[in-house]
Amino acid sequence: MASKDAATDGEIVRAVLAGDVERYAVLVERHRDRYARYAVKMLGSHDAAEDAVQDALVRAFDHLGECREPEKFAGWLFLILRNRCFAEHRRYEREARLPEEAAGSVAAPDRSDGAMERRERAGALHRAVQELTPEQREVVVLKHVEELPYEEIAQITGATVASLKMRMHRAYDRLRELMKEHV
Amino acid sequence: MKKPYHDLVKRLLDGELRLAELPPDLRAEGEEALRLLGAVDRTPVTLSPAVTSRVMATVRERTRSPARRAWRWLVTPRNVEVRFRIRPWLVAPALAAAAALVLVLARPQTPVSSTNVVFVRFMLHAPGAKSVTVAGTFNQWDQNAAPLIPAGTDGVWTTTLALPVGQHQYAFVVDGRRWVADPAAPAIDDGFGRRNSVVAVTRQGARTL
Repeated sequence: MASKDAATDGEIVRAVLAGDVERYAVLVERHRDRYARYAVKMLGSHDAAEDAVQDALVRAFDHLGECREPEKFAGWLFLILRNRCFAEHRRYEREARLPEEAAGSVAAPDRSDGAMERRERAGALHRAVQELTPEQREVVVLKHVEELPYEEIAQITGATVASLKMRMHRAYDRLRELMKEHV
Repeated sequence: MKKPYHDLVKRLLDGELRLAELPPDLRAEGEEALRLLGAVDRTPVTLSPAVTSRVMATVRERTRSPARRAWRWLVTPRNVEVRFRIRPWLVAPALAAAAALVLVLARPQTPVSSTNVVFVRFMLHAPGAKSVTVAGTFNQWDQNAAPLIPAGTDGVWTTTLALPVGQHQYAFVVDGRRWVADPAAPAIDDGFGRRNSVVAVTRQGARTL
């Protein structure tokens, strides 16, 4: 079974490059779900996220010889997926549409019973996050969904901690405005 | 229009302050902000196992294409080990033959090294770094091939490399793990979200693009 392979990512990358293409399935199984939540939050829908992850994995295979640090395959894959998510957003903007599941208003719930209200608020927040700019959305996702510290986000995205905080603080204000009926 | 959150409330959301540390008049705003972000959904997402089958089907398809196989073979870096087996008594005649060959072939020509190789100085300001190297297309992105050395005590690291004429992409590697584009040169996207700097080496010198 592919997922039982105990080899490191670097060893598998080298094996695939040497011609053992089937070993790539180990990397796919190992990392398929790793950034799925990030992709769902960035693209607003499970289907779009699945397509993006699939494309990123194929693209990673196509360019495996250019993976500078095979032991850090996961980080490299994340960068490919991140590029794919931002490209998808540029496409949304060109076509002037929102991702399918994100379309719709951030309307207030009619009822106030606890669980229902929490669910509605979570749904509203999900849709509100989709209304942020992709750069603001990414920092919200990495900080508040993936729960990474600013320093790590800076390492991943190449932005400075100061600019990430500025982006995030603008996002807080925008979310407050979008969620005014829910808080 | 809802007014912006107070800066202290934003710091609360960043996890830098606790609710109890806010001034009393900001606590209600702080609670509201925490309630807003408390609705974040962190449920893990699992993709369909069919993703693996679809990726592997595409991968196999591409591997079967002869053109792609040839391209892959060409672009994949590989280690080559060369072994010699020699008989000691053959060394002297072999050296003599080689010397004779050099004498026959040696004709006055423009030395390649003086016209096609240019010395390029790389410099990075990285105070606090323990090591800095430069990796690029000129050394197959080997992050150990070209270490920089500290120049003085103000965090400047430098090295000079002999590069062939042509265009080269490169990046610095700080402390063996952090890739940094040259801040003194414009960077281009390497296609994977990272930034590479570019230097154009001509017989007249080198310039960053």
